[in-house]
Amino acid sequence: MAGATHVLPRVMPRPALLRRRAVRRAATFYLLVSPWLLGFVLLSAVPLAGALLMSLTNYDGLNLDYVAFVGVDNYARAFSDPEAQHALLRTLLLMVLVVPTGLVLQLLLALMVDQPIRLSNLFRTIFYLPYVIPVVAGAWVWKIFVDPSGGLVNALVGAVVPDVNIRWLVEYPTLVLAVFTIWGAAGGGMVIFLAGLQGIPAEYREAAMIDGASPAQVTRFITLPLLTPVIFFNLVTGIITTLQVLVQPMLLSPGILGLSPGTVPPLDNYLYPVHAYIEIFVKQLFGYGAALLWLLFAVVLGLTLVLFGTSRRWVHYGVEA
Amino acid sequence: MTRAAVRYVPVSFFAVVFALPIFWVLVTSLKRQSEFGSSLFPTQLEWPNYQLAVVLADFMHFALNSLVLSGSYATIVVIVSALVGYGFARHRAPGRNQLFGLVLALLIVPTFVQFVPQFVLFARLGLTNSYWPWILWALGGSPFAIFLFRQFFATFPRELDDAAEVDGAGPLRIFLQIYLPNAGPAIAASAIFMFLWVWGDYLYPALLLHQDNTTLAVRMANAYVDPHGNPLQTVTMAGVVLYVMPLILFFAFAQRFIVRGIVTTGLKG
Repeated sequence: MAGATHVLPRVMPRPALLRRRAVRRAATFYLLVSPWLLGFVLLSAVPLAGALLMSLTNYDGLNLDYVAFVGVDNYARAFSDPEAQHALLRTLLLMVLVVPTGLVLQLLLALMVDQPIRLSNLFRTIFYLPYVIPVVAGAWVWKIFVDPSGGLVNALVGAVVPDVNIRWLVEYPTLVLAVFTIWGAAGGGMVIFLAGLQGIPAEYREAAMIDGASPAQVTRFITLPLLTPVIFFNLVTGIITTLQVLVQPMLLSPGILGLSPGTVPPLDNYLYPVHAYIEIFVKQLFGYGAALLWLLFAVVLGLTLVLFGTSRRWVHYGVEA
Repeated sequence: MTRAAVRYVPVSFFAVVFALPIFWVLVTSLKRQSEFGSSLFPTQLEWPNYQLAVVLADFMHFALNSLVLSGSYATIVVIVSALVGYGFARHRAPGRNQLFGLVLALLIVPTFVQFVPQFVLFARLGLTNSYWPWILWALGGSPFAIFLFRQFFATFPRELDDAAEVDGAGPLRIFLQIYLPNAGPAIAASAIFMFLWVWGDYLYPALLLHQDNTTLAVRMANAYVDPHGNPLQTVTMAGVVLYVMPLILFFAFAQRFIVRGIVTTGLKG
């Protein structure tokens, strides 16, 4: 037996060769992703670390001569800043107004245009359009649509109640902002739902139909459970984007459209990111603003983690769709 | 009959609700300024509003700015993201999965949180008032597009690589000759979204650029006022139509393509 081993040819490469190949492979990978890696370090990691440092100082965005370390003062200040608290509540209110309604609407639109109907491409385009329209154009659309004298909304209301002169952007700014946001986001969510719907094999629904299920039952017991991953995805992205809404309320401020240092949205639309924007770019309080933004990140992260925690209970990844 | 009603009535209702504000922009853009607020519909179509919209805002100048900025950003970011996505999809290395997790994690960090320190950095380097920030962003790739390409390339059969490797092709050649030419839907979908992002973005050009080299988005915010500083709503609406029209025509044409792009790239999460 002992003499038999040496006749076996050495088919296995030497470990050194293997290691060299692995190193070369790893080098190829890192070379290929190097643009992103470099970008990540220089444009994300370093600035984010800088922002963390900034939030612990009194940095004013101008020069570094007077910068002083202030510890967690900025964070303590955020918690006792009544404007920050007001702004956070308005942002959370917008989220409650926009996210559930928007999600239901997106799903409804997707279900409606997924049917074999005539002109379905036209319908899809109409629902998708507001999503494509840039935010400045969208703000103008709504500003003119609800204009007290030249808008269609007051004209329609006026047909029922004579002599109305509702100044929507002054009296109900959050309502206009919410409708604008839902209208603008609906198409994007719809397309993702549509992709999800088209990923569900037709046999599932057909089988249920043959077993005598009504269209409503098919939707409730076949389509919806299979769509839960998509619902989850749209819910998470919806919450993340709504918490960051900043430009829309500023563009919708009464007066001339535009984002100039003087433009402050009405109190009802004074959202959290707006507050951070004003502290940073108007008052030059970069340190305090950075702290405000880190707190926003904490809220976003917290809500996302909570959602992921609940997802095990209602999101079904089981069936390969 | 009732079945057709169930199919068509709700969808038509929503279509009207969605289109009505846009329809109103068109109507307003064709009124005389004196008719704004006094008559519901224009007595005669005021086409010169469109001419005014182009002249008053120096429309072509800013449209060119927008086109150059969006076009160069989209081109660079798509190429870089495709390359990085290919790396993530096809090349194994220690730390790869952690790095990909990092790509996705960045999607959760609010963009404004990242922008503020970047703004300080760009200002210190003297890069504000130039298009350099967008070029730098593009050179680093976009997490969204990297994810899209990674998902797309993961569906390619590995035999392709093996065959090319046997023929002596390196990874870069495999990417350029096999992966990129077959990535049509992913390239189209990401290029559209990346172009649209810069074309529509208001905040970054407003903060980073100045009056002359800024984009149409910023210009559209307050370009149209009469000599007394009163807003010219009708001309503004004509400007808005001109600003949005190319996108609308393009999307009406590409709508089916976009849905397919999202389906095939598995973007639904």
